[in-house]
Amino acid sequence: MRTRPINCIIPPYILDKLLESPDSDIRQAALDTLLTTARLRGERAVRASIAGAAATPGDGRRTVFDCDGAASLRGAALARTEDGPASSDTAVNQAFDGLGVIRDFYQEVFHRNSIDDQGMRLDGYVHFDVQFNNAFWDGQQMVFGDGDGQEFSNLAGSLDVNGHEVTHGVTENTAGLEYHNQSGALNESISDVFGSLVKQWKLKQTAEEADWQIGADVWTPGITGDALRSLKAPGQAYNNPQFGKDPQPDRMSKFIHLPDTPRGDSGGVHINSGIPNKAFYLAAVGIGGFAWEGAGRIWYDALRASTADATFQDFADTTYQKAGDLFGVGSSEQAAVLAAWAGVEVQISGVPKARAFAVSGNGAVGREDGLAALSRQLGELNAKVSGLARDIAALKGST
Amino acid sequence: MKVTLETYGGLAAAVRRRPQTLDTSTLPETDAAELTRLVTTAEATPPPTGSDGLARDAMTYAITVEDNGGTTVLEQSDPTMTPAFAALLRWLKTHSAPR
Repeated sequence: MRTRPINCIIPPYILDKLLESPDSDIRQAALDTLLTTARLRGERAVRASIAGAAATPGDGRRTVFDCDGAASLRGAALARTEDGPASSDTAVNQAFDGLGVIRDFYQEVFHRNSIDDQGMRLDGYVHFDVQFNNAFWDGQQMVFGDGDGQEFSNLAGSLDVNGHEVTHGVTENTAGLEYHNQSGALNESISDVFGSLVKQWKLKQTAEEADWQIGADVWTPGITGDALRSLKAPGQAYNNPQFGKDPQPDRMSKFIHLPDTPRGDSGGVHINSGIPNKAFYLAAVGIGGFAWEGAGRIWYDALRASTADATFQDFADTTYQKAGDLFGVGSSEQAAVLAAWAGVEVQISGVPKARAFAVSGNGAVGREDGLAALSRQLGELNAKVSGLARDIAALKGST
Repeated sequence: MKVTLETYGGLAAAVRRRPQTLDTSTLPETDAAELTRLVTTAEATPPPTGSDGLARDAMTYAITVEDNGGTTVLEQSDPTMTPAFAALLRWLKTHSAPR
């Protein structure tokens, strides 16, 4: 097969553009190409111009502290630093590794430089309190308990729980969703969504393959097959005599009204999050493929565009708009978002119900073809550049 | 004196947790004296101020003290609780019957 020359020559400005692609595969291919080209030309300026696109290991530096059973962060001992050796303590290393995966996930998938997008330090505290069945974000750092062995095992060991807590920090630095009632349930849902996406990204699972569970690895270690929450099936994550049944609703008509008090979970933020959680799941499977590439990008852009008092309706409308911005108005992705919210009984504002058309199952095909074609082109370009490099080396050798 | 501990909130806020109650009249004398001392100290310590309210998934604890017909409720959260409240909470958690 003859190669059309036009496919093989990608001007640097196009490569620069590709470096800004939200798709990590495209960025990596473009980066490899530019690096090869830069080596060939020996141009330091090119390297400098793409430095921002490469991982910046100095940012989002991790530090893990050991509370050693104290219910306070003051006096916690330094246990592991970004450049220091591994600890002999499993929980310390688990928190450290988890924070690294989450940092890389936000960097590679969303070009986000740590929690605040400015390289904020990632500080984790483990062994908080004794038999502490919780993990939380205190506005500055992640804190993990060991669990009591019945309700939870060591919470630092769960990547999606870790991702849930870090994402609370991301939300604080973007929409700042108020932590009560619907905006609070959205805040919780965002943490579940990106906590689950971190795990899916690490395991390279498609939306169909993922378990969509939160905390399955640490929730009720004596009971197999359950989880703290399920984005796929809110209300069905667990059911046992000791801890009762998962009370999460999966649609608006089941919304649970609770008082905006600590006892009422600030209006049920950990309960009604089941509704937007299910919407995300439906959007992800409706779009298909890797959830972080489709629904994840839409939700991330919607998070950055939302206000602190956003309701489910507001957020749904924003995701619909962002799906149109990212993938095109009337695209199968936007249709999937519309259908997903309809699936939890939230109708997108200004869209007649009749237009809630069925989502075609092959919406992602065109995009896959585009990526495959681009990868092929970049591969061919790389081969040509490598050949040129060999020729020049041979020329140099002969002089 | 009856002291009841209720725990709510946290990552698993949706889980129902049973209140745990201790009664000084049924405790050994030394334990009853220690609990009374911890309650008195916690009640006398002002709750933390200046909490920025940014904690997410934090646990909140309500300790209800019933004594001579009077009822006092102390409510504080991780990680901003006073050392006096934390000491009382730790004692209640370690002396309550397991679930």
